[in-house]
Amino acid sequence: MNRFDLPDLGIGVGLRTVHYAHILGTRPDVDWFEALSENYLDTGGRARFVLEKIAEQYPIVLHGVSMSIGGTDPLDFDYLRKLKALGQAVKARWISDHLCWTGVSGRNVHDLLPMPYNDEALHHTAERVRIVSDFLEMPLVVENPSSYVEFTTTTMTEWDFLAALAAESDCGLLLDVNNIYVSSFNHGFDPKVYVDAIPADRVVQVHLAGHANHGTHIIDTHDNFVIDEVWSLYARACARIGDVSTLMEWDADIPDFETVHAEARKAEAFRSVEVAYAAV
Amino acid sequence: MQRSEASGVGSGEWGVGATSPISDLGPPTPDSRLPRLAPLQEWMQGVVTHPGDVYQAAAEAALGVDSVILPSASLQPIQRVGLYHGMYMLRMIEALTIDYGSVAHFLGEEAFEKLVRAYVQRFPSRSYTLNRLGDSLPEFIATSALKRRIFLRDLASLELAMTHVFDEAEAEPLPGDAIASIAPERIAEARIVPIPALRLLSLDYDANEAFQAWRDERPMKPQRRKSWVAIHRHDYGVRRMPLSREAFTFLGSLVAGQTIGDAIAAFHRRIKRLPEQDELFTWFRDWSAAGLFAAIEVT
Repeated sequence: MNRFDLPDLGIGVGLRTVHYAHILGTRPDVDWFEALSENYLDTGGRARFVLEKIAEQYPIVLHGVSMSIGGTDPLDFDYLRKLKALGQAVKARWISDHLCWTGVSGRNVHDLLPMPYNDEALHHTAERVRIVSDFLEMPLVVENPSSYVEFTTTTMTEWDFLAALAAESDCGLLLDVNNIYVSSFNHGFDPKVYVDAIPADRVVQVHLAGHANHGTHIIDTHDNFVIDEVWSLYARACARIGDVSTLMEWDADIPDFETVHAEARKAEAFRSVEVAYAAV
Repeated sequence: MQRSEASGVGSGEWGVGATSPISDLGPPTPDSRLPRLAPLQEWMQGVVTHPGDVYQAAAEAALGVDSVILPSASLQPIQRVGLYHGMYMLRMIEALTIDYGSVAHFLGEEAFEKLVRAYVQRFPSRSYTLNRLGDSLPEFIATSALKRRIFLRDLASLELAMTHVFDEAEAEPLPGDAIASIAPERIAEARIVPIPALRLLSLDYDANEAFQAWRDERPMKPQRRKSWVAIHRHDYGVRRMPLSREAFTFLGSLVAGQTIGDAIAAFHRRIKRLPEQDELFTWFRDWSAAGLFAAIEVT
């Protein structure tokens, strides 16, 4: 159990538009859903209706891409107000976003742009995480991103940065083991060292996904099955963390719901600590 | 911090001595030639969103890419930041293709990409959602040098209205017999409250027919003739209802908040006749059945 007493929700699936009819029509045996916050903030249409229907039947977690928690523009309190209201409306178990920035000077690039990992960025981000957590009245859960560049101004590893950020801001962590693998390939570090260094009691949730390997680099496309190396990292994470809410993301070339759910349920094989240790 | 759009590549401030917008955020980086957080983000955004290729972006940047980005075992710094640069424009094109499918189809892939590249330079996203990225595309097209720009403006206006209606707040439609239940002597004072998910368009081209042709995979033929259309949502589905000039005039007055009596008077001024009783009956019957009205108020 994490230090926030946030529950292990089991194995969940990312809620996607193409699956709405299937979910409403068949009520599949899924433990929980993660909804992309921005898709539901400014709509009174079908998406919001469906989310509220699903929230009546399943636990919901909100996962955002536009908080820009590492950005240097002021925090967007209009966005945060809407996010908080949405969280209350669907009884979100927690709210997460990425360790990244998404734009400056009032613009949004709509990408999860990487941070330099140094003291300046750490203190800046920690202060913003604290403000957001206070505003939301729940600890923000921060996800490690996948990235394709490293900055010359970086002075610490990403895992040290995340651990320090969690300690300084008292946030939860969403450990994306696919992102760890992607970044380890792109930057040439050992992903096992990363997993081993994460403060286990901060981890509230784990993400799984597929990616696209281009030989010289990997892009985090969320358009495929989880590869064996990522399952191994997941097993390693489970061995350290214990049973933890786990979610399968699939965002492009999305197959039918049963395929995504079946891929997610492979995680069950690693969730017992004994099994996980054996697999490491 | 809100800067003008002109502050693009190379506009960041560098080093410890520079006037940084985050100068109170901790000690400087060890090497004072390297950018602190805010200028680093300005620099990277400038490179990533540059309308040219990443080499042009790098050439125009205030600092060399190699001084900001480290190489990997297999990619040079410019190749690494180029991944973000390439994905940015693909994302913009994808988002606008979703919202403006018929415009994209009519223009063709190459011309639409060129339009998007120019558009996002002038109207970059300033929202946390990509859903609003295309809000200024109709006006951008209207002032562009595109051939058929008035037709394309109308087509884009139609598709923009559809995205707005898609996201509008839901409202319970008025029962079909609600208007008939008003005492005849009070009907002129009645005010109709439309559902939020309703937009009325007056167009120079028959964009609705062109849009339907695209949906039906028929050739899109721009027909220059005035047309009027109501875009609305029913059972969470976006619908398009062609209107006559007369129906548009009357419905427009109601949607603007006029009483039924004032809407009839406005109709008389614009159409130079009073609406026929049969016309009014048919309009109210059809509009009620389509769920265009949320309430009726009699003061």
